[in-house]
Amino acid sequence: MLCAPLFRDGVNSMKNRQKIRPWTYSLPALILIGIIVVFPILYTGYISLTNMNLYHWDDYHIIGLENFARALTKVDSGFLGALATTILWTVLNMVIQVVLAFFIALGLNVKGLKLSRFYKTLLMFPWAMPAYISILLWRVGMYNTEFGFLNKVLAALGFEKMNFLSENVPAFISCMVLNLWMALPFMIMMMDSALQSVDKSYYESAKLDGAGFWKQTWYITVPAIRPILIPSVIMTTFTTFKQFDIVYLLTMQKGSLSGATLQTIITYAHQNAFVSNNYGLSSAVSIVIFGFIILFSLFTNRGVKEEA
Amino acid sequence: MRRKIAMILCATMVTTLFAGCGSGTENTVATSTEEGKEETSANEGEVVSIWHDGDEAIMKVIEDQVNEELSDDNITVKFEKKSGLTDQIKLYGNDAESGPDMYMYAHDSLGTFVEMGVLSPITDVVDESVYADMLPMTQEAGNYKGEQYLLPVYFETLLFMYNKDLWEGEVPSTTEDLYAYMQEHTDADAGTYAVVNQHSTAYNVSPFINGFGGYIIDEDANPGLTDEKTKEAIEYNKKFAELQADGDYNTVTTLFNEGKAAAIVGGPWLISGIKDAGINLGIKSLSDFTLPNGNSLAPYSGIQGVGVMKHAAEEKKDAVAKVLTAISDPEVGIALAKEASCAPANQKAYEDEAVKSDEMIAAMERTAETAEPMPNIPEMSVMWGPAESLLAAVNKSGDDLDAAAEQYQKEAEAAITDMQ
Amino acid sequence: MRTKKIKHMTGLTILNLFFLILCFLTLIPILYAVSLSLSNGSSGLSSGVSLWPKDATMKNYVAILTEEPFLLWLKNSVILSVGTMILAMGTAITAAYAFSRYRFKGRSGVLKMLLILNAFPQILSMFAIFRLFKTFHLLNSYIGLIIVYAGSMCIFSIWNMKGYFDTIPVEIEEAARIDGASSGQLLIKVVLPLARPAIIVTAVMVLIFVWNEYLFSTTFMMNADSYTLAAGLYQLQSGDYSRSWPLFSAAAILVSIPILIVFFCIQKYMVSGLTAGGVKG
Repeated sequence: MLCAPLFRDGVNSMKNRQKIRPWTYSLPALILIGIIVVFPILYTGYISLTNMNLYHWDDYHIIGLENFARALTKVDSGFLGALATTILWTVLNMVIQVVLAFFIALGLNVKGLKLSRFYKTLLMFPWAMPAYISILLWRVGMYNTEFGFLNKVLAALGFEKMNFLSENVPAFISCMVLNLWMALPFMIMMMDSALQSVDKSYYESAKLDGAGFWKQTWYITVPAIRPILIPSVIMTTFTTFKQFDIVYLLTMQKGSLSGATLQTIITYAHQNAFVSNNYGLSSAVSIVIFGFIILFSLFTNRGVKEEA
Repeated sequence: MRRKIAMILCATMVTTLFAGCGSGTENTVATSTEEGKEETSANEGEVVSIWHDGDEAIMKVIEDQVNEELSDDNITVKFEKKSGLTDQIKLYGNDAESGPDMYMYAHDSLGTFVEMGVLSPITDVVDESVYADMLPMTQEAGNYKGEQYLLPVYFETLLFMYNKDLWEGEVPSTTEDLYAYMQEHTDADAGTYAVVNQHSTAYNVSPFINGFGGYIIDEDANPGLTDEKTKEAIEYNKKFAELQADGDYNTVTTLFNEGKAAAIVGGPWLISGIKDAGINLGIKSLSDFTLPNGNSLAPYSGIQGVGVMKHAAEEKKDAVAKVLTAISDPEVGIALAKEASCAPANQKAYEDEAVKSDEMIAAMERTAETAEPMPNIPEMSVMWGPAESLLAAVNKSGDDLDAAAEQYQKEAEAAITDMQ
Repeated sequence: MRTKKIKHMTGLTILNLFFLILCFLTLIPILYAVSLSLSNGSSGLSSGVSLWPKDATMKNYVAILTEEPFLLWLKNSVILSVGTMILAMGTAITAAYAFSRYRFKGRSGVLKMLLILNAFPQILSMFAIFRLFKTFHLLNSYIGLIIVYAGSMCIFSIWNMKGYFDTIPVEIEEAARIDGASSGQLLIKVVLPLARPAIIVTAVMVLIFVWNEYLFSTTFMMNADSYTLAAGLYQLQSGDYSRSWPLFSAAAILVSIPILIVFFCIQKYMVSGLTAGGVKG
């Protein structure tokens, strides 16, 4: 498919090939996506129209839009609160993440920093660990009220021990710190690879013009890496938006509820639809949430438009 | 238009790809399972697989014991650990090819599995006499809507475990005296506690709730979080909770194992850790504590039992019957008690001298008299969340009990409605 | 000139100091895990302040390596990661190239669509994929898992590499085209070397995703012997009640180390062919 010989005769066939070729190039990927991403969404849509639940596990049938009517009743104040939390969560995380990662990556790329490979590898460690392990380590190792490292430090400094996860605001911040810890390595790596692509000769001419560090950064580095980074920043925004593990495992895992009642829309959906084993209803809720995510993505659409 | 064509193209490609992959792997899978079957039929006879999500050491004890008993029948039992067993059974419960033949799990998920239609009553396979010797409480736990679905194997319940080197004087026999002791001997700032408990876990608060006559959910699937007696119990638990550290599992067990807590309310699963830590352990049954209202503490009990998948009850009836009979043998119970510190469900196992003299198992058997099996109706599965949220709200966030109870009762009712 | 050099040196020293502190802060939870993994008891958690256990022992590492099928799981992880990387990168590179270089109808629509599709929480897809794979007998096979993983990472990979491809000047390709290179040759000989950092980063992303994934692996593979490292570890220690912290931490460290080694080794290849080759855009 790749090595189609290049005929040089006839503008027409050339033109046709120009039309077909991009599709042949992207077809394998689109098939894969069709199976693993599109099909499940369609299937979820189908299940949302059925009464599949505990009592109709194998003998479910289509019942129409009833589940959606029920799903929409879940769009109540609790849901809207969760939505607001999720948006705040996403925005804060992304801003901090991008800014921090940018400056760390800049630092790593300073000429003459011989140990940068070593630093980079160490900074990647949080990423190399399976997420559920990291979260457990933080819950018990860092935030624990009696043995957590943070409380040991507080105690050693003469402060009172603190329960990081029992109330919403500290719990939100704790979740955010953990999320940053887990997500920054990826962002740093993306920034780092983007910085590699910046043509160094620009800086030299800028230096000759007398531009300082901030000016160089703002007028050369940022514009140069922006197009490379926008996709991964958008991707990460979505991942952050639908983040479930951190909030769930840190504060609301069965048997170790921490006391905070922090909800993102995904944990809210989980708690309000998924625990019920009603697949029809929870599929409808999923579709509704997906609708909200699409709406949300319209906000980020501006960045996409410039790109695509 | 072009997009449409592309879509159609995609669709056809998807199907062809699948046809290709599908047939290819189908063959390999088929041959590999066939080979497997041949092998087993030649060497080991019939294999009965049992899925579980428990302690592998415990399952090994049962597996060895049962396989020894069945060696003449050419039947082999294979215990396979599956994390997240409930979800796995939802996917594989009716799958004769790759799913299990039987499963072993705590009884509180029984109703869910029965309603899903993946289980057969064990009476379809074996005679009632097979489980006649089991403790009545454990039989009741494995019974759903009048049918016996689980063969009880062993049970777990909460105990009062104390460090004999740290506890001063006798362990009190009323909860009020216990509270007085706790007040005197707790210094949260120094990190030393008299008694610790997972005070915001519904299972660990059940001794109070049941003892006060409250309930988390009743037989008709009505949540009882706003029940006056339940609230009384939660209020009562709260005053203990204030003296019991954070209540997270890892925290309380470490406190006890490090000698920073003189006693812990916990189950037999803590024993191996406590032994490793070299604690001089004393055990008292929760039934030996009296509440102000004169009742004994009445913890929930969890019964680990074996259930039979529908397909196995039809296709492997004889083998499954033999396995069930072998598991019900008192010897299995005795082995479990001796090697894994489990309290057997079989009453006859307690006639064994070694079992009788084990302090912990004796305490468990004693607790079995007041313990209540967890409800096994499907609605229970959605109750843990609201119940624990209520406990955490009251104990950890300091919310008002009445308002929180009202809120989580509503949440529980909504969750139960959502199931239909 | 000399003062400039001194300034540069002090700057570097401060920077080194900064990174040392940053690495240390980042690694605190990991050091905690290391210390747990070296501790002797069974609970491992303790109330002492130190990050180093009193009587360090390697026995937990030995236990993981000898008592669990660690090497088998490692092999499975490698098979799945490499397989996924080949399938995901093979399909995504050409697609990303097409979306970056060709201007065709539906291009921006498809791109946006992909982005939105990617927003669907993957965990919700599991049930549907399960049903599909069951019908096509792809359960309990590596091919099935590789398709799942590659499909999950495909959109990310396309988008990620497309962004980088866009920055490679078309002129370089045109020059090669005039020299008579076919478009396949163009892709392999010109574009791929130029986009090396992006390709490596994307491949590492795929690798780490597969390496750390456990939900699909534990659900779709029937036999614990065919689990990946993350799945085996999850199976081993998923419950609070049965978790041995020292063993768990030792396994966690062991699972992460191969990734770090890979990461350390690939870094020297992350310099772009573009800047390294000195071609000006």
